[in-house]
Amino acid sequence: MPSEDMGKLTYRMRLAFAVATVICLLVLAISPVKDFRAEWKKYKRSFVRYAQGRPDTKKLLADYSPNIDQVWIPGMNVVDRCTTCHQGMTQPSLADASVPQPFRAHPPIPHNVREWGCTICHRGQGPATEIAEAHETTLAWEQPILPAHFLQASCGSCHHADLNETPQLTRGRELLSRLNCQACHKLNDVERPMLGPELSSVGYKVSREWIYKWLKEPRTVLDKDGNVTVNGYENGDESRMPKFRLKDEEIVALTAFLSAQNAQPIESYKINPAVVAAWNKKPDLLPQGELRFRQMMCTTCHPLAVTRAGETKLIGGNIGPELTKVGSKVNEAWLVSWLRNPQGYLAQNNMPRYGWTDEDLYKVSQYVMNQLTDSDLLTTVPKLEAATGDEIKNGKRLFLEKGCASCHSIAGVTPQKDFGPDLTALGSKNASELEFGKAKITHNLLSYIQAKLQDPVSVNPASRMPQYTWNPADLDAVTTALLSQTGPKPTSALQHLTVPKVAASYRAVGDFAEVYERYKCYACHRFNGYGGTLAPDLSYEGSRAQKKWITEFLRNPQTIRPTLILRMPQFNMTDKEVNIVAEYLALAVQKPDVNPQSVDARQFTPALVSMGKQLYEVKYQCQSCHTIGGTGGYVGPNLNNAGNWLTPAWTEAWLRNPQALQPDTIEPRRNLTEDEIRALTAYLMTLKAAIKPQSSTSAANASLAGQGAGR
Amino acid sequence: MKSRILLAMPLLFVALGLSACKKGAEVVKPVEAFGTYDSEPDWNDSTKLVNLGYQEAQGKRIFYLYCVWCHADATPAGPSNRGNLTPVPPLLNDGEKLNGESDEFMQNIITLGGSALGKSAMMPPYGKTLSAGEIQAVIAFTRAIAQPPYQRPGRPGSQYTAK
Ligand code: HEC
Repeated sequence: MPSEDMGKLTYRMRLAFAVATVICLLVLAISPVKDFRAEWKKYKRSFVRYAQGRPDTKKLLADYSPNIDQVWIPGMNVVDRCTTCHQGMTQPSLADASVPQPFRAHPPIPHNVREWGCTICHRGQGPATEIAEAHETTLAWEQPILPAHFLQASCGSCHHADLNETPQLTRGRELLSRLNCQACHKLNDVERPMLGPELSSVGYKVSREWIYKWLKEPRTVLDKDGNVTVNGYENGDESRMPKFRLKDEEIVALTAFLSAQNAQPIESYKINPAVVAAWNKKPDLLPQGELRFRQMMCTTCHPLAVTRAGETKLIGGNIGPELTKVGSKVNEAWLVSWLRNPQGYLAQNNMPRYGWTDEDLYKVSQYVMNQLTDSDLLTTVPKLEAATGDEIKNGKRLFLEKGCASCHSIAGVTPQKDFGPDLTALGSKNASELEFGKAKITHNLLSYIQAKLQDPVSVNPASRMPQYTWNPADLDAVTTALLSQTGPKPTSALQHLTVPKVAASYRAVGDFAEVYERYKCYACHRFNGYGGTLAPDLSYEGSRAQKKWITEFLRNPQTIRPTLILRMPQFNMTDKEVNIVAEYLALAVQKPDVNPQSVDARQFTPALVSMGKQLYEVKYQCQSCHTIGGTGGYVGPNLNNAGNWLTPAWTEAWLRNPQALQPDTIEPRRNLTEDEIRALTAYLMTLKAAIKPQSSTSAANASLAGQGAGR
Repeated sequence: MKSRILLAMPLLFVALGLSACKKGAEVVKPVEAFGTYDSEPDWNDSTKLVNLGYQEAQGKRIFYLYCVWCHADATPAGPSNRGNLTPVPPLLNDGEKLNGESDEFMQNIITLGGSALGKSAMMPPYGKTLSAGEIQAVIAFTRAIAQPPYQRPGRPGSQYTAK
């Protein structure tokens, strides 16, 4: 290479080096500039300016440092730099909504931010120092901030026991249990799954046409505005049976299979022909049947559509199925046999075995079969011929394939295990682990869960999950409960934080156990934390109620809470049964420190009684919530008969501290002196008037949520 | 050859630097709040929804457990107990009546009951049933649903605006 050429090259090289060096320097300069302009530094500076504009500048800036702040809790995986920008987090004076974000104080919660950090509850990326990285899904981080509306999910990931403060989570868990999601999915913290009825003998109960109708529109019908109606009536609750995406020929095959299920013939019962003949001569059979149906308080558990003043609505509880059109559903022979002995048809179910006279049985069954009907119910069902062997075989295959067997057992049909995916760690899944299919939704966990719940095939066309109908609040509640299923905790420090759920159990003993099972007391009443919540907790009934009162109440249940329409049914217990229950309740279920014999009502003097009356009416004005002699409020129980109902010992203990006896009671605890307590008790013990049953119209005006008033 | 690599180096730096600046792919949309635990329909106009913060939502829960019976016209049980009382208690969203009361007064009457403040004993004391925090939460809820809306007294006019 000639030397002059070399010189030229060198010149060009030099130029290139010069340019490269300048670029290099510029690149090096980017970093400090970027650093100076970092988002968090802007917030640091503007917080100083904000604090300076307030009277409490000094206090606000006491801990100020221009650097990154972080909460670092090694064992809990917490490295949260959120306080770098959210600088007023622990400043009570910045709690007001007028304080601009990100400087507002955290609302007072049971946990201290300094001890817990932020991301344990809010999720998001703790160590991030940029807004987007901290809050949103980024390429490197897939767990965005949980919107505040769903924040209770985080409570649930440690608190497996239900909390008062998290109604949305509790409702979600309740729905997961009510809708029996556990039949197909593995879930944590979901109690008492409710299975669908066993279908081994369903062929005796309903017609093939009815099954067709049911599979086509399982109870829930959506009107054109998207409102949920049940058999045509509005209902706030979800139907337990979801809708499956079935083709007509699949429904036909399933109906063939199901209507052929006759494993165990029903115990047929012939009502005394003399009773039938006698009633058939009377024209008022149906009204009489309806009256009996009401008196037996079937609607305490079963919803029923009633029309009053041109308005139709569902009344009644939601423990049993809706009965408005049940007469067009079941066979009469099945109904009679079911009413006499529900456990004869389904071994596991919560329907009490009432004591029936032939007359009652005839009246009520005639009423149900003739009045609770809808002649149009099956008009849309095509003509179905007798089932062929092929149809039945096909139906059985579908019964397994569609997952019917997960909820409904049939003798000889073994359900597939783990039909749906395990959801116990769904709440900590990354978006990349989820299938979004063609759904046009934001790719994050929350949108995924909501899309899947609302329309399972929208994210996965091959999904076997059936279609549920949600109202918006319930959709969010279930989403919250699912988000709370975050799987095992990664570190032992976090495992220590979990608050387990205490499983409640109660075993009735002796003769009582038999009566307890027969009348399914636990479907509505609670004993030591186990059982329903519809009716009063009976764990301490022996301390509270006088034995004589219990006996009379069981014979002829009357309401103590006049606004309730859900009342204790009339079971027609035998005298022997009544005695067994009264004996057991009075002696076996007492609160240890409230001995019902410890206070003797005979010691109360007239002077004490009149002082109590004065206290009741003037000083404490208890009549604002309780009724005596027709006047007063109805937030608390009617006290007209308190002297026959309550034990003096219980009354005193209750007045001293109601929450000690019943933690969730709304009766306010007062500052009563012992003298006042004694005087009030003395007065209450003089009240011995029978309570008249409420007229049915005003009772029906109270909605079903009425039981809330008493608690 | 070597010179090319040297030249490419700074460019690579620049490219890396730029890519590091790129923000995350998608922005999460806020979820619409429904009429649930953290919102309350305006009692005077049910088409409007008031969104509730954490404390206000806890207040709502306590209100519907303890206070609704006497301080609202519709209760979970249907009819209200309000009409059974003399004096008739104010609706808890009654801004005309309650906006003028200070937080301290509210805290006192709820804690100690009406009689302790020279008002009717029909207003029970909740100081031994609810914690001070729970009572503050109910007050926060009252303020949130007040019609006409509640203005905190003496709130310093904030000259500061975010960003
Ligand atoms: C048994 C019915 C009843 C219940 C339950 C009740 N209150 Fe009251 N409350 C009243 C009555 C009556 C008054 C009116 C007192 C007066 O003006 O003399 C009142 C007055 C008030 C006042 C003062 C209003 C004013 O005019 O200054 C507040 C605040 C209040 N109640 C809050 C509550 C809260 C909060 C609860 C629930 C924790 C509650 N109340 C539960 C009956 C009740």
